[in-house]
Amino acid sequence: MTSTIEVTNLSKHFGKVNAVNDVSFTVAENKIYGLLGRNGAGKTTLMQLLTGQEFASSGTISLFGQPPVENAKVLQNTCFIKESQRYPEDFRPKDVFKTAPWFFANWDQEFADRLIADFRLPLDRRIKKLSRGQLSSIGVIVGLASRAPLTFFDEPYLGLDAVARQIFYDRLLEDYANHPRTVILSTHLIDEVSNLLEHVLVIDEGKLLINEDAETLRNRATNVVGMKTAVEAFIGNREVLHRDGIGGLSSVTVAGLSESERRDAHAAGLELSPVSLQQLIIQLTRTETKEFEASA
Amino acid sequence: MTTTTALAQPASPLKRITNVAKLHFANPWTTLGLPWIILGVIFVGMLTVWWLIYSAIDESARESALEGTQFSGSSFFIYIYMMVVAIQAISITFPFALGYGVTRRDYYLGSALAFVALAVIYTAGLTIISVAETMTGGWGMGVTIFAPVYFGAGIVERIFVQFVAFLFFLFFGSAIAAVWVRWKATGVTMFFIVVAALLVGLIALATFTDSWVAIGATLVDLGVTGVAAWSLVLTAISGVAGFTLLRRATPRNAA
Amino acid sequence: MDDSRPIFAQVAENIENDIISGALPEEGQAPSINEFAAFYRINPATALKGVNVLVDAGILYKKRGIGMFVATGAQEQLKGARRDSFSSEYVRPLLAEAEKLGIDSAQLTQMIAKEANNS
Repeated sequence: MTSTIEVTNLSKHFGKVNAVNDVSFTVAENKIYGLLGRNGAGKTTLMQLLTGQEFASSGTISLFGQPPVENAKVLQNTCFIKESQRYPEDFRPKDVFKTAPWFFANWDQEFADRLIADFRLPLDRRIKKLSRGQLSSIGVIVGLASRAPLTFFDEPYLGLDAVARQIFYDRLLEDYANHPRTVILSTHLIDEVSNLLEHVLVIDEGKLLINEDAETLRNRATNVVGMKTAVEAFIGNREVLHRDGIGGLSSVTVAGLSESERRDAHAAGLELSPVSLQQLIIQLTRTETKEFEASA
Repeated sequence: MTTTTALAQPASPLKRITNVAKLHFANPWTTLGLPWIILGVIFVGMLTVWWLIYSAIDESARESALEGTQFSGSSFFIYIYMMVVAIQAISITFPFALGYGVTRRDYYLGSALAFVALAVIYTAGLTIISVAETMTGGWGMGVTIFAPVYFGAGIVERIFVQFVAFLFFLFFGSAIAAVWVRWKATGVTMFFIVVAALLVGLIALATFTDSWVAIGATLVDLGVTGVAAWSLVLTAISGVAGFTLLRRATPRNAA
Repeated sequence: MDDSRPIFAQVAENIENDIISGALPEEGQAPSINEFAAFYRINPATALKGVNVLVDAGILYKKRGIGMFVATGAQEQLKGARRDSFSSEYVRPLLAEAEKLGIDSAQLTQMIAKEANNS
C-alpha cells in the first residue's frame, strides 16, 4: 500500500507551547481519516504543517514522497478547507467558484453546481453578507468539487445545521466511492462521522494518542450493565476502561468481547451496549464530555 | 467502476503565476472598480469647484488662479490609493491562495505580475485622460487636473513618471502587506516607526551637514524623470523585501 | 447500525435478512459496494468487509466486471445456519428471563402454544 503522507518526529513549538509534539504516523492512499481531538489539541497546526502553511520546528513531512513546503508539485494536489477560511471581502460565492478551477486540475463544475443547489447557496451575495453556515458551505463545496488527491477538512461545518451536515456526509461518501482519494477530516462531532471513517488519529496536547483502524477502535470496548455482583463476576480481571454504578447496578466499559463471551454475558443476565467512538475517545483521553458536545 | 483520483499534471510555473495574477482581478471591484469611481468623483468635484471660481472671478485674476492648478495634487490621491489596494489585495488573498495550494513563491510572483499590470492599466488610463485634458484646453476652462507639471512636460516623460510612481506605491504597499501578514499590527507599527526614524535621520543628516542646497541642486539636475528613475531602486528594495518576508509568512488567523 | 457488534457484521446480517426474506432473490444481482456504503452511510471499506464475509461463505459470488450475485441455494444455507443458532440466540435467553420471573417450562410451553394460536 502506498503512503500519501509520512510524518516522522514532527514538532512545532510556539514559544514554550508545544502545539505538535514529536508526532510520527503515515497516511495510506485513498482512505478517509478522522483527525480527532479536543479544541486546541493541535489538529489545525498539524494540518497547516502538512500543507506547508506552517514551518516545522523539527521532524520531517513527506507528501506524495516529497516535502510539502513551497513545493508546487505537491501542493497542487492538496486542498485544505479551514473552518476559519477567509475569502476576499468583495468576492461573491460565484467568484470563488470561478477561481477555484484555476488551481484544482480535477475540479468538477457539474458536481459543484449540484452541491450549490443542495446547500441552497446564494451565488451573488457578497461574502461579508453571508451567514456562518453559508460561508462553511462554500468551503465544503470547494473541498468536494476540487477532488484533490489529498483533501483536508478542518471542522468544515461551523454553522451548518444537521440537514446540511448530512448532505455533506452523503455527498462525501458518494463522491469518494466514485473517485477514491485521501481525505483527512478533523472534527469534534465524532459520533456523526464515526461510520464514515476508515482510520482514526486522535491527538491530545500535541501528542498522537491513537492511530488505529476505525473498525478495530469501534470494537475495542463494550459496556456491560447489570447487577453489581454479576458484572464483577463477568469482568474478572479484564481491563476496565470506565466504571459507573448506581445502587446495586453497575456499568463497566471493558475491552471488546468475542461472540462466545457475549453469549456468556447474556446468559448471566447482563446487558451489553455499544461504546461509541466518541465515548471511547473521551474515556481514553479523559476529557470532559461537555467539550465534545458543546459546539456545532 | 471506480477511478482513482490521479495526481494532477504539474501546471507550468508560468501558468501558476498567471493564475495568481488573475485571482486579483477575479472580482475587479477593489482593483479596477473603486479607484476609477473615486477618481471620477474627484474629477467632477474639482471641475465644479473650478467652474465656481472661474465664474466668480474676473478675467484678469483668472490667469494666475489657473496657473496654480498646474501644481494641483488631486490626482496624487490615486497613487496613495493604489498603495492601499496593494495592501488589501495581499493581506486578503494570501491566506485564500494558500488554501488553494499555491506556494508563497508563486503567490508573490503572481501578485507582482498583477501589480505591474495595474500600473500599466492606470498609467494608460491617466495618460488618455490627461491628453483629453490638454486637447480640451483644460476642460474648456484651462484647468489642470491630470497633467500637473510634476509629471513632466512631454507625454513620453509623463507616461514614464506615472508608470514608475504606480510601481513604487504598489510595491511599497505589498511590502507593508507582507509585514502585516507576517507580524500583524505590531509589525506594521514597528515598520512605520523604522521608516519614520530613517526619514528623520536622513533629514537630520542633511540639516547637520548643511546639504539642503546641494540636495536641491541635485534634484533639479536630475529632473522629474531622474527622480522617478531613482525611485525604481526603492521599488526594487520593496519588492525584494516583500518577497523575502512573505516566503516565511504563515496564514494564521488571529492578529 | 447501532448495536455493539462490528458494523461490517451488521451489514452482512442485513444482507442475509434480505436473502432470507426473498427481497434479494437467488441469482439476482446484489447492490454494489458503493450502493451499500451510501445506503448505510458507512465507509465503502466497511461495506466491502461485510460483503466479503458473505462472499467467503459462498452466499454471494462475483461476476467479473458485472457485479455481485446471490448464489443458488443461499437462502436455504442461511436458514439452516440460523436454525442451528436459534436455540442459543432465542431459546436460551427466553429461558433465562423466564427463570428470573419464576415461570417454569410447563407454563412457558403453554404460553408459546397460546401465542402461536393467536397469530
